[in-house]
Amino acid sequence: MRKSYVNNNIKINEFDALIKITVEMSKYLYPYIREILKSKEDIKENSIIWNDFNMRFIELIEERFNIDSIRVKKLLNQAENGEIIIKSLLILSFCISNQGFQKLKNFLYDF
Amino acid sequence: MQNKLSFHQSSVSLEIIGLPDYSNNENKDQISIISQWKLTIVDKPLIEGKIEHLRPIMDAFYIYSNLLIKNEIPIYESKLIDIKADNLHIHNIVLKSSKANVKPLLLKIGNSLLSDTINCFDQLNESPKVIIKNDITTNVPKKLRFGLNKKVKFFNIFIPPFFAICSLILFSSSFIYFYSPFENIEKKELTNPE
Repeated sequence: MRKSYVNNNIKINEFDALIKITVEMSKYLYPYIREILKSKEDIKENSIIWNDFNMRFIELIEERFNIDSIRVKKLLNQAENGEIIIKSLLILSFCISNQGFQKLKNFLYDF
Repeated sequence: MQNKLSFHQSSVSLEIIGLPDYSNNENKDQISIISQWKLTIVDKPLIEGKIEHLRPIMDAFYIYSNLLIKNEIPIYESKLIDIKADNLHIHNIVLKSSKANVKPLLLKIGNSLLSDTINCFDQLNESPKVIIKNDITTNVPKKLRFGLNKKVKFFNIFIPPFFAICSLILFSSSFIYFYSPFENIEKKELTNPE
């Protein structure tokens, strides 16, 4: 999915390190994640945060991902990407505890 | 004098009141005999109950959040609590009282409050000062346990034939290289000289 011609498999310790970074970042960013989720709950009254987040998300996808891929096109489609984004944000918000590393790992293995 | 411990996460707080088990040489500030618990969600009615209700309610939230993420229909039903999704953003919680003539308490919470509640329960689980007896297997509703077993059985039945079919396809596809259409035409010519 990424704009990369190198197709190396990720090593298990690199995978663990990425999960640790993600969990630490989610702990730090939890108030923002929460606000994005909240703004989507009441989109009529509070749509600014959600729209800003979605715009930036699409910008980053276009910048770093292979936009010719069908899966990436799904992520770019604003009508379809809501569910994927909400579920990803929920997973991050559930993993901010001290056991968050193990929780996120379990979520990813079950995905 | 009872100990009181509070766990906070944004708009949700969980309060645990109880005593240490001195017979088990526990510290003064520990709680292992819980006498009361209160779950406060901003702008929602206070949730409190008996000690035996705390673990099933926590499990209900954990199981429901897992179902929500795993693309399955997020419904949790038990004698004590029902949680259903209105849509991807709003969740309906029905708390049923064990007392007769008490109407069930209905709550609507969004994803933000759901994640706050889960994080409060996580803090409680990870707190070294509170010891809650873990008995997850008995708390999983029978309906759900059956569902899980059924799923495992289904995969056990489905996976061997799936691999068998795949291996047959792979094996038979290798014969494409041995097939020679010219030989077949020659044979046909021999059998039908006309």
